[in-house]
Amino acid sequence: MASIAMDKPGATVLLMGNEAVARGAIEAGIGVAAAYPGSPTSEVLPTIAGVAKEMNIHAEWSVNEKVSAEVAGAASFAGIRSLCIMKQNGANVAADFIVNANMTGLGEAGMVIFISDDPGGMTSNNEEDSRTITKWFDNPLLEANNAQEAKEMIKWAYEVSEAVNLIVFVRGVTRLSYTRGNVVLGELPEEKEKKAHFPDLWDMYNPTKSKFTSGPFPIFHKPLHEKLEKAREIFETSTFNRYMGPEHPEVLIITCGACTSYSIEAVEELKAGDRVGVLKLGTTWPLPEKLVAKHLATTTKVFFVEEMDPFVERSVMELAASLLPATSALTFYGKRSGHLTPYNEQSTNLVINALMDILAMTYQPRDLTYDKVAKEAVALVPSRPINMCAGCPHRATFWAIKKALKLDGRDGLVTGDIGCYSLAFAGPGFFQARTMHAMGSGAGVANGLGSLKQFGFDQPVLAVTGDSTFYHAVMPALVNGVYNNSNFILLILDNSATAMTGFQPHPGTGQLATGDPATVVDMEAICRAMGAHVELCEPFDLEHSTETLLKMIKEDSGARVIIMRHMCQLVKVKRKIPAKYKMHVDPERCLGDTCGCDRLCTRILGCPGLMWDTKAGRAAIDEVLCAGCGLCADICPAGAIIREEAI
Amino acid sequence: MGTKTLTKEPFNFIVAGVGGQGNVLLSAFVGMALVNEGFMVSVADTFGVSQRGGSVTSHIKISKEATYSSVTLEGKADVILGMEPVETLRALGEFGNPHVITIVNPRPVHPTGGVAYPDLEEVKKAIIKLSSQAKFVNATEEALKMGNPIYTNVILLGSLVGADVLPISKESMVPILEERFPGKVFDTNMKAFNKGLELIAMA
Amino acid sequence: MSNNGKGSKALFEEVINQGLCTGCGACVTACPYMVAYGGRIVVLDKCTIEEGDCYKHCPRTYTDMNAVSEKIFGVPYGDEEVGHAVDIFMARSTDKRIKEKAQDGGTVTTLLALALEEGIINAVVCTKMDEDKVARGYVARSREELLECAGSSYEASFVLEAYRGIPKESTEKLAVVGLGCEVEALSKIKTYEPKNSVNPENIKLTMGLICGWALRPDVFHPFLRELCDPSQAVKFDIPHTPHYTFDVYTKKETKSVTLDEIRPYINPACQYCWDMTAEFSDISVGSAGSKFPGWNTVIIRTNMGADLMEAAREKGILETQALPEQRLAHLKTVALNRKKTALKNIIEKTGSEKDLLYVGGLSEGIADKLLEE
Repeated sequence: MASIAMDKPGATVLLMGNEAVARGAIEAGIGVAAAYPGSPTSEVLPTIAGVAKEMNIHAEWSVNEKVSAEVAGAASFAGIRSLCIMKQNGANVAADFIVNANMTGLGEAGMVIFISDDPGGMTSNNEEDSRTITKWFDNPLLEANNAQEAKEMIKWAYEVSEAVNLIVFVRGVTRLSYTRGNVVLGELPEEKEKKAHFPDLWDMYNPTKSKFTSGPFPIFHKPLHEKLEKAREIFETSTFNRYMGPEHPEVLIITCGACTSYSIEAVEELKAGDRVGVLKLGTTWPLPEKLVAKHLATTTKVFFVEEMDPFVERSVMELAASLLPATSALTFYGKRSGHLTPYNEQSTNLVINALMDILAMTYQPRDLTYDKVAKEAVALVPSRPINMCAGCPHRATFWAIKKALKLDGRDGLVTGDIGCYSLAFAGPGFFQARTMHAMGSGAGVANGLGSLKQFGFDQPVLAVTGDSTFYHAVMPALVNGVYNNSNFILLILDNSATAMTGFQPHPGTGQLATGDPATVVDMEAICRAMGAHVELCEPFDLEHSTETLLKMIKEDSGARVIIMRHMCQLVKVKRKIPAKYKMHVDPERCLGDTCGCDRLCTRILGCPGLMWDTKAGRAAIDEVLCAGCGLCADICPAGAIIREEAI
Repeated sequence: MGTKTLTKEPFNFIVAGVGGQGNVLLSAFVGMALVNEGFMVSVADTFGVSQRGGSVTSHIKISKEATYSSVTLEGKADVILGMEPVETLRALGEFGNPHVITIVNPRPVHPTGGVAYPDLEEVKKAIIKLSSQAKFVNATEEALKMGNPIYTNVILLGSLVGADVLPISKESMVPILEERFPGKVFDTNMKAFNKGLELIAMA
Repeated sequence: MSNNGKGSKALFEEVINQGLCTGCGACVTACPYMVAYGGRIVVLDKCTIEEGDCYKHCPRTYTDMNAVSEKIFGVPYGDEEVGHAVDIFMARSTDKRIKEKAQDGGTVTTLLALALEEGIINAVVCTKMDEDKVARGYVARSREELLECAGSSYEASFVLEAYRGIPKESTEKLAVVGLGCEVEALSKIKTYEPKNSVNPENIKLTMGLICGWALRPDVFHPFLRELCDPSQAVKFDIPHTPHYTFDVYTKKETKSVTLDEIRPYINPACQYCWDMTAEFSDISVGSAGSKFPGWNTVIIRTNMGADLMEAAREKGILETQALPEQRLAHLKTVALNRKKTALKNIIEKTGSEKDLLYVGGLSEGIADKLLEE
């Protein structure tokens, strides 16, 4: 792909939303970009990092979103425009800083947070609407519909941020972040040189004019609200808010973000353009009330189309209530009415379904006979459960955990965490994990369970986490465990990558976001320094890892650490590390689905590199998918899986 | 600017496959070629977790006039490129219609965890029944002959271009491949691309 | 009642969860889903097989005693108190080393060492205690290794799990040493061909051990640890009446507890056991009692057993003497009482004389006799 920093204003390129955000920030002349990997935003930072030197930008992977927000905030304080990027959960982590930064105000240079939510949780373990958080924090909020708009909004967001002296949120969703669309490039900033300096702006006698230290001063709160009012005025005339449709529509759709396209296209598909108008809001908090009120007066039916929470719905209904009795004839459709759900992803089809009810019209997407045949044929189609990759070391780790806990027999459990090992709660991880919350929560919850001895608690507790997660949130939890003498084992699954989100480097990998070498922050040394008993295991040495687990479990004393270290299979592929073994199944020895095996490898181990040949009644290796790790050969009860050293 | 036109406005193209098969790269190539031809394109894939064995569907919506959302409406696919048979059928189930044209690589990828794979012949029959035209291209087979299953994507790309169902030509695709695969790698990939052209002509 | 069409689910429902598991290890012999650990059967994953060898070979699922007897001895199951026997006498080893390590007379070790050295067998599946006196199945292939296995552990060892290590295609000729329940399981393995796992044709010799009851390792060992350092223990013994103790010999001293103190650690499954003398073996061996310290009672059941015994006598490695009438009568009485008590306990559990759990295939006459007061 051509460089994101190419100097070709006016050229049209195909960019995904995340890349467009990066381009927008570059065009806005940022000097600092900081983020922690989180789908669906993970591509923004590396895109910027790729041209960091050339564009004089400091681009870093921070250990967590709070630090990344603080890094971006500091840049703003010192007069450098900054971009902070996070997924929905990141706002939860960065909350305390943002709330306080809103009190202290920013520096001369603007700060923008690009936050992308994941409706439907395609790449998350929860659903959350970050707009409500933005409103809670008291920050201005913009929502982008597609890649082109995202780029433009990011640029404008800096102007707004500098005008009102607040962090501005630009919000997207997975469909925005990952959809590639035509983007017309803008001008690159003229000067690449940026000068950073921390100004002396503390004046005890003029606290509201002082900067950067929040405190128990309620007097900071009033100016904050005044800033929001200023933002509202700016938003009243923003060109990101647009109306398309008849002057007096029968139904007024109020929409924002990615739902804009769904709304417009639903109306087009139903050929209802003469009956339905679409008011697209690009600025959704604070609400441009005058603009909305103007449109409310043109109709009697209002239909809110937005992802997740009835955010705009609530703001507009609040507005409508305040305008009573002028608005008393309005009927509202949206989440409250049940026309759309406040959970799961929206789509054009869902909007069409809702409109069919509101407009009392029918719609047939396709020929009914075909529809019937198609639906019947789909009955043939098996579901594809998500799995860990062939060759994943976590599969070996969880196999050992399963056996060790079962042998121990005290109903031991795994407290899970976020990453590829999240799959521990399901088949791929043999249903070992019984809790899963936020990054680092596995260790936190394990702390809690491990302190319940006096209430008769004797179940072994294994907290599972990853190498990146360790630096992100687990370290304090381990300190807590050692200090409070909590009884649990922390298993760090160190595969040398932040794998789930796309193999971003972290403090343990020895590489920066820019690809330059970095100091390795030694995980093992840290755990020992904290005072924990630490063991190292190779996950594919099942005998040793199971033995170590059993030994540590029986120890039953305070916080213990086992580092299960083996490189992620996909990282190996990236680094062109060849497969260790060539595998095949001896059909003569394979017992298949008969007594003594019952398809242990395909049914329980479930590695994608294994196939079940229904006709032959035997397991087989899928040569395209097999990673040659040899794990299946170790667990086959008939010794039917053969491994040969690959040349 | 290309001279190609769309047979429908907007036009819906779907690539159906399994995580790890390379939908993303393929749909990106097609998207870029279309942009070069002067179209407005919206391409969406599902990333991340889907790398690990789940179904992955890439939607490409093509228009001369506006940027649309990417996801195909129910029953509105115009062309489906199936990188895997069961995924092709899944896509036809939701997005198919009597006019859809389907190009399929008939190599099964087995679901994991003990789920049985249906009879391949039954799946192929269903695909044929649900398409106005269904063409089978043994891309993985040919890729393995070339020495690496990784060439499957580019072979399928060649077949897609050769089928002439999208407004992209070989000429618009070559510079994109050149940029992505420098040096010697480009030659092997062009070989794979041309193989794809060959295969679709015979299908 | 048929033994067919049942698998691990029924095994747990009908045996393990009913407190009937004796710890023989037959179910885990060929199964990747179950292991014996810490004195219990641990399920690692769920098996979906409907008709499994685990259920078929378990000694506590319905056993057609006639069918098994026909397979092992070629005759129907009889009414002898000590089972089918061609000769009963006393024996002891003449080998000094064996006598030092032996529980009583060292007869089992002597016979097995002979069989190994003569090439009648190549490997012995038996029980071995580790340093902490935890008993597990083991495969011995030499006299030295056999000596390490001498001495009673008094606990369920899941010995047949060691049978698992020997592949089906192996040409090794095997001997197996086991308690009544273990020998019964082995006999079911011989009678009902295993689907995929072991090849019972490999078993050339079965040595039975006369057994009163077995301890449950998971509860016994914590008790033992309170008594002494298990790694210092060299022998356990329960001397016959008039003694009433469980003795632990360490390198320095002997610790004794009364049988009452040890009773809580007995496997409750043993109360349903009716086979004191390991009836389906080639040779069964036990202690000859406190009147004959250092001697074994020996029951020869088959030609294989008789031939091996003869070879041992000829070589002078075993000396024998007749079992006094009184001793024989006592043995038979105790064995019969065991059968009756077991059936009584079984009927109390099932609530019906018609349901004798695993005891099946008996002719009416035999069943009636055992059920009468």
